[in-house]
Amino acid sequence: MREFGYQQVSDVETAVATLATSADARYLGGGTNLVDLMKLGVETPELLIDVTTLPLTDISETADGGVLIGAAVRNSDLAANPVIRQRYPAVAQAVLAGASGQLRNLATTGGNLMQRTRCSYFTDVTKPCNKRAPGSGCPARDGEHHNLAILGASEHCIATSPSDLAVALVALDAVVHVREGDSARAVPLTEFRRLPGDRPDLETTVEPGALITGVSLPGLPIAAASRYRKVRERASYAFAIGSIAAAVEVSGGLVTDCRIAWGAVAAVPWRATRAEAMLRGKPVAIESFAAAADAELTAAEPLEGNAYKVALIRNVTVELLAELTGASR
Amino acid sequence: MTSTPTKVPAAPSDTASLRGRIGDSPLRPDGTLKVQGEFAFGSDLWADEMIWGVTLRSPHVHARIVSIDVGPALATSGVYAVLTAEDVPGGNVGLEHADQPVLATGVVRYHGEPVALVAADHPEIARQAAKKIRVVYEELPAVTDGRRALEPDAPQVHGSGNLLRHLKIRRGDPDPVAPLVVSLDFEVGMQDQAFLGPESGLAVPDDAGGIDLYVATQWLHADQRQICQALGLPPEKVRLTLAGVGGAFGGREDLSIHVHACLLALRTGKPIKMVYNREESFFGHVHRHPASLRYEFGAGHDGLLHYAKAELLFDGGAYASSTAAVVGNGGTLGLGPYNIPNVQVDSYGVYTNNPPCGAMRGFGCVQAAFAHEALMDELADRLAMSRVAIRQLNGMREGDRNITGQLIDSAAPVAELLQLVQDMPLPAERLSEDEFDLLSLPGGVSNTTHGEGVVRGIGYAVTYKNVGFSEGFDDYSTARVRLEITADEPTVTVHTAAAEVGQGLITVEQQICRTELGVQRVVVHPRDTQVGSAGSTSASRQTYVTGGAVKAACEAVRAKVLERASTMLDIEPSELVLDGARIVSITGAVVASLQDVLGTDAVDETVKWSHRPTYPVDPETGQGDAHVQYAFSAHRAVVDVDTELGLVKVVALDTAQDVGKAINPDAVVGQIQGGSAQGMGLALMEEIIVTGGRVLNPSFTDYLIPTILDMPPMRIKVLEYADPHAPYGVRGVGEPPTISSGPAVAAAIRQATGKALRRVPIRPEHITEG
Amino acid sequence: MRITTTVNGARREVDDVWEGESLLYVLRERMGLPGSKNACEQGECGSCTVYLDGIPVCSCLVAAGQVCDREIVTVEGLSDQQGLHPVQQAFIECGAVQCGFCTPGLVVTAHDLLARTEHPTDPEIREALAGNLCRCTGYEKILDAVRLAADRLAADRLADIRAGSSGRLT
Repeated sequence: MREFGYQQVSDVETAVATLATSADARYLGGGTNLVDLMKLGVETPELLIDVTTLPLTDISETADGGVLIGAAVRNSDLAANPVIRQRYPAVAQAVLAGASGQLRNLATTGGNLMQRTRCSYFTDVTKPCNKRAPGSGCPARDGEHHNLAILGASEHCIATSPSDLAVALVALDAVVHVREGDSARAVPLTEFRRLPGDRPDLETTVEPGALITGVSLPGLPIAAASRYRKVRERASYAFAIGSIAAAVEVSGGLVTDCRIAWGAVAAVPWRATRAEAMLRGKPVAIESFAAAADAELTAAEPLEGNAYKVALIRNVTVELLAELTGASR
Repeated sequence: MTSTPTKVPAAPSDTASLRGRIGDSPLRPDGTLKVQGEFAFGSDLWADEMIWGVTLRSPHVHARIVSIDVGPALATSGVYAVLTAEDVPGGNVGLEHADQPVLATGVVRYHGEPVALVAADHPEIARQAAKKIRVVYEELPAVTDGRRALEPDAPQVHGSGNLLRHLKIRRGDPDPVAPLVVSLDFEVGMQDQAFLGPESGLAVPDDAGGIDLYVATQWLHADQRQICQALGLPPEKVRLTLAGVGGAFGGREDLSIHVHACLLALRTGKPIKMVYNREESFFGHVHRHPASLRYEFGAGHDGLLHYAKAELLFDGGAYASSTAAVVGNGGTLGLGPYNIPNVQVDSYGVYTNNPPCGAMRGFGCVQAAFAHEALMDELADRLAMSRVAIRQLNGMREGDRNITGQLIDSAAPVAELLQLVQDMPLPAERLSEDEFDLLSLPGGVSNTTHGEGVVRGIGYAVTYKNVGFSEGFDDYSTARVRLEITADEPTVTVHTAAAEVGQGLITVEQQICRTELGVQRVVVHPRDTQVGSAGSTSASRQTYVTGGAVKAACEAVRAKVLERASTMLDIEPSELVLDGARIVSITGAVVASLQDVLGTDAVDETVKWSHRPTYPVDPETGQGDAHVQYAFSAHRAVVDVDTELGLVKVVALDTAQDVGKAINPDAVVGQIQGGSAQGMGLALMEEIIVTGGRVLNPSFTDYLIPTILDMPPMRIKVLEYADPHAPYGVRGVGEPPTISSGPAVAAAIRQATGKALRRVPIRPEHITEG
Repeated sequence: MRITTTVNGARREVDDVWEGESLLYVLRERMGLPGSKNACEQGECGSCTVYLDGIPVCSCLVAAGQVCDREIVTVEGLSDQQGLHPVQQAFIECGAVQCGFCTPGLVVTAHDLLARTEHPTDPEIREALAGNLCRCTGYEKILDAVRLAADRLAADRLADIRAGSSGRLT
């Protein structure tokens, strides 16, 4: 680990201004990802600005019937919040499906959205990686990519975002609130993270130095019956190899509205808009769910080692939609 | 050293008031320290003036070292020393063959091989300085596939051929035929011991060119021998003391920080602490050999095995470690506990440029068991026989001879163990979804196998494993036992060099002393090289071998005490009994107190004790009495498999095992539970991913071991059929559960899914793929 | 930098702490409290679990600077003059300790569970302890220990109520 400075700040303006004074500073949330990456030498900031002490630790109800979650709200507090559990259960479920109790007690909402990939080439500084060292190459495509992307990848990078929470949030139309310099901006989560393209080192669409101040969820009746389902290689304390957040509204045997997002399939939490469009207006039936998943997965470009994910995502989607609608199989 | 007296006086009889004799389950003496965080593991040690050592490791799989420039590292403020191969005064090290340089010399042969060392006053400064060492490498062609390694034009790892050992077993008809033939190929991935306490130790130099090393290890004397070799020092200058060991499972049998810390300490004159982080730990110890297995069984329509052919290929990686012995075990035991009249086995160990592999719990038998048990299931299915019945039909019994022609001369309850697990109650059917509250039971409990498409499967497996070192190895242990009166109370001190790694040997030593000498207070001396070798804490051998040595030393102490009493009282020793604090005549009268006999003296006896000899096998036929004892276990696994997602939930993992005599019944159960979890882990999730020789998942995030949510409740039945050749009739306990649990889990998944599943760990995609 | 914090009830001040040091390192190497264990140092095993302001966290991921003026309780702070905490005692009695490297983290995590939940069900125990890896025991005896400790703590509370005293804090 290189030497670095550590600074606590008490307001958002100071945090952003302080970051701007350094060529290579990072905001420090729970540290569960950043500190680990610093130990591995992947992240080498010269200054850490501790944003957990900012007054961003509330979960408040908004005028449109939604909620605003402060960026510094701890994962465990988010999952335990009665409003979240009642109105956005998939969010609570996604949080609880991630990491362990000890880590959820540290990890923050904002930090979770900034979680970096677990690609083993990214986390090993002795290996090439276009995300970590632009232009050095991507050995994952021909190497170990068992848990890497099947959607939205590029020849330069096939990393996946490991966040569980972001999958539930993106399904439920979350908006990220950021402070960029002197101004505040709201960015839909669907547009917040970037696909790799030819710049896998750029992960978000906001300005460098921007600070996440919160995430809002709109008033969304459909979300009250949302669910999150995670597939992983051991029962707990493991990253997803595929996950889904979904909510469905049914009327007269037809799907009138739906939200579907997938995790561990792309560099972003993947909102399955094509699947949603395909499903709206269709009868509640296994065939409809399968067709919706397939519509989204036509864009999939699996590699040899992760081709299993296509079927896995399709199956978990059908399974969860059936569960949510009570469709018989 | 003295030898065991030929005439052994009787053990105390009237000791009903004693607590914690053999057969009891006294609490472990280090438990109180451990639950308070006050037990000193290797990584907790501290000394005045102590500084930190770190290792620079090879980023390449196979490369020539063109040059090393340590200048910038050495110039770093806070750095005391930077060492390379040139600074190693002595020779190579290695458990069986001294083929491994202490620091890479001219060439690196695997990803992670130690190249240089740094000592500095802060671990982070040492790490940063290590990065400044400029090593110029020239990459060489590498061989990273075990079969490729045996081809004539394969790159050479050591320049002397890549074949490390080939064990042949030929028994019976060389051209056997059978009405029914089944065969398969099986692959076993590379498993890690994944002990929780990383490699660690503290080396303290003395003023006379010698060194004291406190280290977490499995075999102090084998370490000492190798350190002496590497440092060019005599044993009296290299003194080892066991630091607290955070688990071992075979992974601490080879050297890790040992020589490195000593070199830095001797160079700087300061105590050196070395502690690996988790990533380095994955590079810093050997792993379980990945294996490629090709099996064929021939049987009659009645289900009786006519013949077996097997080819086992163990990838030993870049250095020998204990590969030769693993090949020996895999070959001699690799057809399972079955009677097979005609046998052809070829067991190979090869050098490659993969990470070195060596000892891990189950040692060669674990890999083989996946193949022979899958094949027994296949045979049963082809014959429409029960999978349990076919194993019982072919199972070994006492008095049978195994495939090396060795007589099984104590209990071999294969059929009974299988019957016991089959007869255990089955777990309840799967709970319906409504019975789970998704939010109150997040994560694995509810979030995995509760959808449609969940099917249940049941699998069985049985194994046998050798106990102790085999094939003619001089396998012994040494114990020193001292009896004296301290503070008016008889006190025994027991001193062995046997590594306590968590299994509870120190409790067992106390129990044996209490039983043999009738004394409640037994002090366990720290383990060090001031007493003779105890052999390794491996091969399920310590309760047998060091237990045997402690028992013999107690007997020698008892004889000495009674000799003294005899002289004092003028009564024949054979007419006296030592009974705790009293000397009693054979008529039952108390004739003296121990205090009278000992006064302020101590009786102190050291005994070197061996089990009965084993023999090398014939090089052409593999026949011979290779092993001293066999231990048997059977498992039944019940799994729920979500066939759409490829997820497996083990809902029950039940087992029966013959332990000969349970010296400490609670600890026996603990060994069975922990061992079973490791076997299950290999079947389901544990694998070091190595591509092109490079390790890709050296962390507990990416190398998964079972959590408490993965481990099902276990029903355990312990049999105690005494082995007449072993002290108290004990049979080794630690390894069999790791061998039969995994194949039972794999069998259950095969039964649930109908898929062949010829590789472990079984990943979700293996279950879901076409 | 200087770190001022409260550890196991006592005010502690440590100088010359480098920013890159974790709370775990400061506890182990600078405060002489090696009870919290360094099994992975990446938040992957739970061996370093301590209470930070009453909440269990992986101390290996907490930067030293983040603990200024906060309260830390480590495994060393769980027993008192009366002896071992019932969780610690139960771990010994149930054989939940083998090598013991995971034990301090598990003891703290189980202590927290029983402080929050009087009679946890088995699934609740498993869920609460899922962030603590153990390689020796297969976890069965750890479950036994938590169940036993829960029973004893409940009995203690009952006795305290009967005796009209406030009793031991869990």
